[in-house]
Amino acid sequence: MYDIPNKTRNLTVTDTKITARNVQVYYGDNHAIKDVNVDIEDKTVTAFIGPSGCGKSTFLRTLNRMNDTIDVCRVEGEIEIDGENIYDKRVDPVQLRAKVGMVFQKPNPFPKSIYDNVAYGPRIHGLSKSKTDLDEIVENSLKRAAIWNEVKDRLTAPGTGLSGGQQQRLCIARAIATSPEVLLMDEPCSALDPIATSQVEDLIDDLRQQFSVVIVTHSMQQAARVSQRTAFFHLGNLVEFGDTDTIFTNPTDPRTESYISGRIG
Amino acid sequence: MTDATQHMPSASAPGKTFKSLTVQDERTKQRNAREARFRLYGIAAIGAGLVFLVILLSAILSNGLGAFQQTFVTISVPLDPAKLDKKGERNIEDIKKVSTFGYAPLIQNAMLAKVQELGLETPLVKGKDMKALLSASAPAQVRDYVIANPDKIGETVEFRLLTASRVDGYLKKRVTRESIERDKNIDAAHLDLVDALVPAGVIAKQFNMDFIFGADASESRAEQAGLGVSMLGSLFMMLVVLVLSLPIGVAASIYLEEFAPKNRWTDLIEVNISNLAAVPSIVFGILGLAVFIQFAHLPQSAPLVGGLVLTLMTLPTIIISTRASLKSVPHSIRDAALGIGASKMQSVFHHVLPLAMPGILTGTILGLAQALGETAPLLLIGMVGYIATNYPDGLASGFLDANSAMPAQIYEWAKRADPAYYERAWGGIIILLVFLLTMNIIAIILRRRFERRW
Repeated sequence: MYDIPNKTRNLTVTDTKITARNVQVYYGDNHAIKDVNVDIEDKTVTAFIGPSGCGKSTFLRTLNRMNDTIDVCRVEGEIEIDGENIYDKRVDPVQLRAKVGMVFQKPNPFPKSIYDNVAYGPRIHGLSKSKTDLDEIVENSLKRAAIWNEVKDRLTAPGTGLSGGQQQRLCIARAIATSPEVLLMDEPCSALDPIATSQVEDLIDDLRQQFSVVIVTHSMQQAARVSQRTAFFHLGNLVEFGDTDTIFTNPTDPRTESYISGRIG
Repeated sequence: MTDATQHMPSASAPGKTFKSLTVQDERTKQRNAREARFRLYGIAAIGAGLVFLVILLSAILSNGLGAFQQTFVTISVPLDPAKLDKKGERNIEDIKKVSTFGYAPLIQNAMLAKVQELGLETPLVKGKDMKALLSASAPAQVRDYVIANPDKIGETVEFRLLTASRVDGYLKKRVTRESIERDKNIDAAHLDLVDALVPAGVIAKQFNMDFIFGADASESRAEQAGLGVSMLGSLFMMLVVLVLSLPIGVAASIYLEEFAPKNRWTDLIEVNISNLAAVPSIVFGILGLAVFIQFAHLPQSAPLVGGLVLTLMTLPTIIISTRASLKSVPHSIRDAALGIGASKMQSVFHHVLPLAMPGILTGTILGLAQALGETAPLLLIGMVGYIATNYPDGLASGFLDANSAMPAQIYEWAKRADPAYYERAWGGIIILLVFLLTMNIIAIILRRRFERRW
C-alpha cells in the first residue's frame, strides 16, 4: 500500500523513554483523550496519525505539559519520562520543557535575530559559560538543523525574514539548542512546500540518533517515511500502536485499515 | 460539419437562455446602486467631519493668534537719581524702598516727552494723561530692572513696555471709538494719540513671549497675563500621572491578561475597569476632594493632588489599551517561548511585552493627552480659579504649592469680564492643542520605531 523505506532499526539500543498509563484528557466536559496507554522508545521516531480532531495533538501536548496553559484542560493518569511522573506536584513544567522540546505546526520564530532565536534557550537555562560557548551551541544547533549554510552569513538578520521552510528549521534548531532528550513535533511540515518538507524529514531522521522524536502528522506518507513506530488515534482512542511497517502493511484493527486506505478521515 | 455545430453553445439551445456578461441584469443593477449610495453616504459623512474640523481650526486660529501679539511702546526713560535713590548711596535696600508709585511718574513723563519730541498735536499735556496708554505693569517692569542694575541710575535707558489693554485692543480692532464712549479708563484723545504714535514706530504690535511663558495677572491687567505658570502646573501633574499610571496600569494589565485565572472575580474586575473608563471625570474630582484633600489632608490646588486624580482617570484607559495590545500578540510567540522552557514570566517579559510595547506606549500617551486636557476634576480640587501668578520655587514646591493647569487657566480666562481675556483664552487653546498634537506625534513616532513584524 505504501512504500516503506528500508530502515535499519537497531532494536538493542532502544529502550522506553516515555510511558503513558491510563491517560485521560478533558477539555471542560469534553473527554478528548480516552484511556491511552503507550510506550515511546528512546532514539526512535514515533508518529501519531489519525483524522482531524482525534486527539493526537492534544496527547502530544500532554507530554511536555503545554496543556497546562489552557485553563479548562484537565489531565488524568500517569505519564512517566525516565520513570518519573511528569504530573507529579513537585515537577516544574519549566524544567520539564527544557528536557522535552517542542516544534509547532506553524513556524514561530521570535521577532529577533537568527542568532538570538537559537541562543534564547541556552541563555535562560544557563547552558553556556561564555560567549564562545554560546556561539558554539548556536552554530552546532543550526548545523544539526541543516540550516547553517544558509544563514551563517546573516546571523543578525531577523528570523522572521526567512522562508517558511527555513523558519521551521530555525525553530528546530532553537528547540535542540537546549539539548532536550525528547523532541515533540506537532505537524511540523503542514505549512511547508514539498522541498522544505523533505529537508525537514531528512532532518528528523538525523535527529533520531540523539533524541526520542514524537511527530504528529496528517500525512500518512510522511509517517511511513520518517517513523519507526506509529500510533493511530481515532475519536480520542489509541486504536493501534506498533511498528510502522506493520501498521501500514498489516494493520490488525479494521479502523486503522479503513483510515490508511482512505475510507475514514 | 453538422455534428460540430450542434455542440456549439448558442442562445437558441433548448432550456438554456444566453446571458451576456456585457449587460447588467436587474439584480446586479440594484446591488450596484446600493453600493454606490453607501459610498456616497460615507463620503458625505467624511465631508461633514472635514467641514467641522476646518470651521473649528479656522475659528481657533482667527480668534487666538492675536493673543501671541501684544502692543508695546518703546520709550527712553531717564532713571532720575533724585527720585529713585534720594540718599545717593546706591544702597539696594534704599532703592527697594521706592515702590512702583515712585516709578509711574517717571515713565509717564518719559512718554509725554516722546510725544512732545515728535511734535504731535494733542490736548493731553500732562504726564498723568499718559497713564491710560501704559500698562499698570510698566512701573513694575522698570523697577525690577533698576533693582537688578542699580548702577544704571542716572542714565537714560530704553524700555519696551506693555501698553494698556485698551490700546492693544484698539490696534486689534477689539476696542473702537464707539465702545469707549462710556469707558472712563481711556478717551478719544488717547486713541488719536495712538493713531499718531503707530506710524512713528513708538507703539507697535510685536510677538509676545510672555503670553507663552509668563505668569497669570490680575483681572485688570489682561495685557500682562501668560500661560507659563499653569503650563508648569500641567507639567507637574503629567509627571505624577506618568510615574503612577504607567507602572500600575501596565502591571495590572499584564497580571489580568497573562496570569490571572479566568473566573467570576476577574470577570467582575474586567467589567468594572471598562465601566470606570466611562465614568464622568467630575466623579473622579469629587473622589479626589474627599480622599486626597479632606481625608489625607494634601494641599488644596496642588498639582500633586491634580495628578493623583488624573491618574485615577487615566488608569482605565491605559489598562484597556495595554490589554488590547497584549491580546494582539500572537499566541504562537508565547507557545514558542514556553516550548523551550521559558517560564511564564520570561515569556511575557522577553517576548510578549516587547511586541506589545508600541500599543502600550500609544495608549499611555493618548491617556496622558486626555488627562492634559481635562478640566472638570480640577474644578473640585481647587485648581480652577486659582490665579497662578508665581512660578513654583523648586521641585517640591512644583508638586505641593497651589497652581493652576492649562485647561483650568483657559477656563478662568474665558470667564473673566474683560474682553481682552477672551482672546487669550483662544490663544491658550492653541497652545494646548499644540501640546496635544506634539504628544500624538510622539505616539506615532514611538509606534513606528518599536513596531516589529512577526
